[in-house]
Amino acid sequence: MTVNARPMPKISLRNIGKQFVVRPTKANPQGSILAALDGISLDVAAGEFITLVGPSGSGKTTLLDLLAGLTRPDTGRVLVDGREVTGPGRDRAVVFQQYALFPWRTAASNVAFGLEGTGNDGVKRSRRERTSKAREYLDLVGLSGFEDRYPHELSGGMKQRVAIARSLAYEPDILLMDEPFAALDAQTREQLQEELLRIWRSTGKTILFITHSIEEAVYLGQRVAVLSSRPGRLKQIVDIDLGERAGTGDVRANKAFVEQRHRVWSLLHGEVLKAREAGHAKILPDGSAPDEKRPSSNGKAA
Amino acid sequence: MTAPTLTNTPDAVAGPTSADSNADGGRTATLAPSRIRASRLRTGILTVRRAVWSSGAILLFLLLWELGPTYLATDSARVFLPPLHEVLQALGALIANGQLQSHLSASLTRSASGFGIAVVAAVALGLLVAWYRSLDQFLNPLLEVFRNTAALALLPVFTLLLGIGEVSKISIVAYAAFFPVLLNTIAGVRTVDPLLVRAARSLGLSNLELFQKVILPSAVPTIFTGIRMAGTSSILVLIAAEMVGAKAGLGYLIVNSQMSFLIPDMYAGILTVSLLGLLVNYLLVAVERHFSRWRTAVGSQSS
Repeated sequence: MTVNARPMPKISLRNIGKQFVVRPTKANPQGSILAALDGISLDVAAGEFITLVGPSGSGKTTLLDLLAGLTRPDTGRVLVDGREVTGPGRDRAVVFQQYALFPWRTAASNVAFGLEGTGNDGVKRSRRERTSKAREYLDLVGLSGFEDRYPHELSGGMKQRVAIARSLAYEPDILLMDEPFAALDAQTREQLQEELLRIWRSTGKTILFITHSIEEAVYLGQRVAVLSSRPGRLKQIVDIDLGERAGTGDVRANKAFVEQRHRVWSLLHGEVLKAREAGHAKILPDGSAPDEKRPSSNGKAA
Repeated sequence: MTAPTLTNTPDAVAGPTSADSNADGGRTATLAPSRIRASRLRTGILTVRRAVWSSGAILLFLLLWELGPTYLATDSARVFLPPLHEVLQALGALIANGQLQSHLSASLTRSASGFGIAVVAAVALGLLVAWYRSLDQFLNPLLEVFRNTAALALLPVFTLLLGIGEVSKISIVAYAAFFPVLLNTIAGVRTVDPLLVRAARSLGLSNLELFQKVILPSAVPTIFTGIRMAGTSSILVLIAAEMVGAKAGLGYLIVNSQMSFLIPDMYAGILTVSLLGLLVNYLLVAVERHFSRWRTAVGSQSS
């Protein structure tokens, strides 16, 4: 890949490590330290679509939080455009699995949320500018005519479209997506995958897309990064080449697709088993990991 | 809500009947509109019946009030429980000579000022307490003590310190209205969806912007629930305070009428208090609904 030869990758992770202190609980009175990520190095070129798969507990969301600037790494550096990430910024946008729309705002007002205050260019936009921008981006995600709907009046797929429009509206260079389609039904998911690719092609954003679906990873990504079970290490990066897919045919039935899906599957399969045996589970934001097994009981159950 | 479903069924029935009625002319064709009319009538009757049923208990109560004292009560009891029409007459007389209005406005001024002070202070303190965890840990035990002390138990203290004038009345109302607003404000801020905070943070919002654009709007419905509770309790406490020591107000009217043996006047005062309570609650519910449209809309759609 020529990515590494380029002088300035858009995103550059250098030997990232991140640990969590697990709060003491009844089952685990001492508490413990968990390494979520360990020695991750990854370069992403500008305009690239990279997907990230890994077993649960492999630190996918942690990695995204680091990139979004919501947390800082314990070791290593996160660089965007060669500058270290020190906090959230409007050059990056996050799309969450649970949409995270503001329920008291209409669709248009949700999209305009990121446009309030001073923008990327240091200019304050007028209300009219914000409204027309919101309209434009709702149109881009195929939701014209739904400007005045409240989130509770929209279906899951429509909510996620609004969320994507909100992230695009303030024109970030990088889109960080955390299992954005996981909560949607299969048909809506496929439709949104299609549209995300269309938006990616027309806007040229750099997209880092986290998913637990191998199919989705292979279908969307130019490269698929496979993470190991906890502590999350970069197991391998698989280049995906599905040839020309401008046509409307069923890409997923291609021989190339099936082969590459299987490659990612075999890489991931062992890790998923390992994670299950170790009983790894999500660490909650409050620092507790209720499903996490105690180190001593490892291997007995499961 | 039931009206559309009821008128829809005859339409669906009328479809096939008019389709196979080609043979025997317009008989079924005239039947369909008449059926629709009949079903409209039926829903009309249903609405009336429901209205009668839901106001039935009130009507029965008023009827009992009117007839009970005359036919059921003993002579001595009748003096203390005059029938409804006497009470209404007394109410009319109190309105005619302007007494009721002056008592009502005295009570309203007190409860409105006390309530207003309480809402402003409680929302401000609630936001601070919810935001700064250490402040919460510091203040919470004290707040618990005060919250669980009945406001009226403190009435003598207020009267001793602030006299029997307006200040002590307004203070006790403010005190009673303070805690529901405070506790609901704290709860409202605490229960903000952490995902929304994360989303806003990822946009690089400052603490102040986060507060203004995410935390406050999402807490507003909960805060208004507290405000509604405070509205009810502010009237409740005020009436009691006016009964103990005052020269005007609805509470004073009730107690004074009792002492002067103007029993119908006393009941007129009580009736006014309950109507005022209903009105205040209704208004606050309407305001609450307005501010939580985005939340309650789900419920009203499905019901």
